[in-house]
Amino acid sequence: MDEQTDTTREFFDGLAARRSEPLLHGVTGTIRFDLTTDEAVEHWLVHIRDGDVKVSRRKAKADCVVTADRDLFDRVVTGEVNTVAAVLRNELRIDGQAALPLAFQRLLPGPADSARDDATSDEGGAR
Amino acid sequence: MSDDLVKILDGNTFVVSDSRGDIEATMSDPTGLFSWDTRFLSRWVLTIDGQRLNPLSVDDLQYFETRFFLVPGTGTVYVDAKLSVIRRRAIADGFHEQLTILNHDAEPVDLQVRVDVASDFADLFEVKDALEKKGEYFRRVQDGRLILGYRRGSDTRESWIWASAKATVDDDGLTFAVHVEPHGEWTTELHVAPARTELAERELRPQHRTAVRSDMERGLERWRAQAPRVETDWEWLRIVYERSLVDLAALRFSPMSLPGHSLPAAGLPWFMTMFGRDSIFTSLQALPFAPDLAASTLRALAQRQGTRFDDFREEEPGRILHEMRFGEMTAFEERPHSPYFGAVDATPLFVVLLDEYERWTGDRGLVRELEPEARAALHWIDAYGDRSGNGYVSYKRRNEETGLENQCWKDSWDSISFRDGTIPGFPRATCELQGYAYDAKIRGARLARTIWKDPGFADVLERQAADLKRRFNRDFWVEDGGYFALALDEEGRQVDALTSNIGHLLWSGIAQRAKARECVRHLMGSRLFSGWGVRTLAEGQGRYNPIGYHVGTVWPFDNSFIAWGLRRYGYKAEAARVAAGILDAARFFLGRLPEAFAGYERTETKYPVEYPTSCSPQAWSTGAPLLFLRTMLGLEPQGEHLIVDPMLPKGIGFIQLLDIPGRWGRVDAFGRERMGREAYPRIGRELGLQPYGERRRGKRA
Repeated sequence: MDEQTDTTREFFDGLAARRSEPLLHGVTGTIRFDLTTDEAVEHWLVHIRDGDVKVSRRKAKADCVVTADRDLFDRVVTGEVNTVAAVLRNELRIDGQAALPLAFQRLLPGPADSARDDATSDEGGAR
Repeated sequence: MSDDLVKILDGNTFVVSDSRGDIEATMSDPTGLFSWDTRFLSRWVLTIDGQRLNPLSVDDLQYFETRFFLVPGTGTVYVDAKLSVIRRRAIADGFHEQLTILNHDAEPVDLQVRVDVASDFADLFEVKDALEKKGEYFRRVQDGRLILGYRRGSDTRESWIWASAKATVDDDGLTFAVHVEPHGEWTTELHVAPARTELAERELRPQHRTAVRSDMERGLERWRAQAPRVETDWEWLRIVYERSLVDLAALRFSPMSLPGHSLPAAGLPWFMTMFGRDSIFTSLQALPFAPDLAASTLRALAQRQGTRFDDFREEEPGRILHEMRFGEMTAFEERPHSPYFGAVDATPLFVVLLDEYERWTGDRGLVRELEPEARAALHWIDAYGDRSGNGYVSYKRRNEETGLENQCWKDSWDSISFRDGTIPGFPRATCELQGYAYDAKIRGARLARTIWKDPGFADVLERQAADLKRRFNRDFWVEDGGYFALALDEEGRQVDALTSNIGHLLWSGIAQRAKARECVRHLMGSRLFSGWGVRTLAEGQGRYNPIGYHVGTVWPFDNSFIAWGLRRYGYKAEAARVAAGILDAARFFLGRLPEAFAGYERTETKYPVEYPTSCSPQAWSTGAPLLFLRTMLGLEPQGEHLIVDPMLPKGIGFIQLLDIPGRWGRVDAFGRERMGREAYPRIGRELGLQPYGERRRGKRA
């Protein structure tokens, strides 16, 4: 696969490299992303087991299938497009267990112009 | 809403019609068939031979089912009504109406029966604000079904309308050529299915609807059977309790992410959706009665907890959502409700509910499951809740266009003011927020120590809580008034109006004892206490208005937490007095407490005046009688046991609550009168009650 844009691939590669996601603690299941371009449908299979994440390109059975245009998904993973609003517009379709993509979207960034410098500076909760 | 409108609902699907069963909505009129925050029918008008029908009566069967008895003809004189018409309608995975025409005459009749239909597909926000549509409408007839539709981009919303009897279908409705024999009847089933995409064949089959419908009936029976029973000589309390149980059942809805579990939505018709604050408060009120609501609320809110920064939605890591919506304006980001996070109290209250839930149920599993979310919420309080950097939780909206100015429960524009009526700047640190933050830390510490096994974190939280309490009692105390200020403004000045918020401080436990005593004097004094309940804003304050939304009205929900607060500090008689006032007011609303009623003095109007445009039933008003039962009986979990320490309102003989669910299994609680019978009749009359003894003697005689 040699797509012209690599945003989506970078996102999934990054996810695969991290292996474990604290924000997916307690979440188990598989989500398949079917992303359509003019020529084909691209598959990303994300296997989550209590926060541990594995990513592959198989078109295997999943607990939930998310379908969207690849172009749109590129903007989803950069935070430009909000997932929930896209689902409500029917631009992103969900088949299967709705709780899984709801958990998954925690990993997506917010809009760039909302980013905050202090986002990571005060871990721990102590004032 | 006007009282002659008839409403039925299931989850976020509901129908509002006139007393004939007809819908003739306009863009700004709240009638119609609504689902997922969208109006799927704006016109639904029945005629027979071109004539509208007249209502004889409406029979509310269940919250999801009703029946209209009608006769043809205009005007109010029913001359020679040879026909009667029954519309029996239900919400069960769509809208269904069984239309029956009875011929009472000795002659057969031939009739043209017509149902006119149309839909404007208005977003609920548009109905509220009367806005223009941006997409395009379409309609088609397909396989004998009329399909009305609306398209904007890739978003399509359709209403599928069909009948079981043979009909002529055109773009504007269905027509039936009906022949009814002498003393015979004719009937058809009309169906309207709101659809986002092509309807699944499965959903069009009648068996499917029957299955959904009987599930709902069984569900309601089970719900009532599982709830504790109330026995009392206070007849109205029993009626109010039954009303609350059924309304709470109706207000439940099941989010798609939690199939099989339901949580309370905020209210009908505008608020049939998830609200952080309302769902949490209602779950707290209902804990002794339906603890599962709390578990679903906690899970659903945890699933949607903020993880990033988004100024439009006011999302922040750890923040608990304010409101979720599904309509077109949310979809196209003209409103931020996907979800919107503009509430500052929901996040600490999430931790409060988690702890209170465990104290009642002993469900340590959920506390462990939600440990990361609870920690993130506790972290949010200090990291992002403190907008001024002065050690207090405060708010200032990031979304200047469509965000909420006041992000506390009193969210109308003029709810936060100085004594003289001046409106302060932002950020605003309202006092109850400090109470919730304090309580969240104390309760978070308990969870950390006993369940998360993190005593270090518990110590930190307790130190922070003690520090917050000390500073709060110093900085918020209005010396010349003897109460806590409503808020601190952007410069740390005391926003010194006297309000009901001080009652919430008792509930949270942040008030020092001596200061609490002075607050109780105010809460029960004539400036705040109307005789029915505690006003949101005290009489005599600059912005006081007995019919102002948050500036003088009495809110049953507010009062239920104030009563809990009074109990917490040992003011049992005062708590009972507040409970008696509000529950007595319910008599005037057929047992269903409204969102708010006017703050007029009880002796002035004799009856509580309903706030003009309030929404009903509203979840936290529905939950208020439940919490009052808890406070009157003094129910408090302690370890594995339930403590019962009753103090009933004067003149009430007894209240029993049977089969209270919790970590103890099921237990009963009994409360008996606290004074001699001889004093009873006078006070009973004061409360508008028949003395128990006299009535019973009368019956036997």
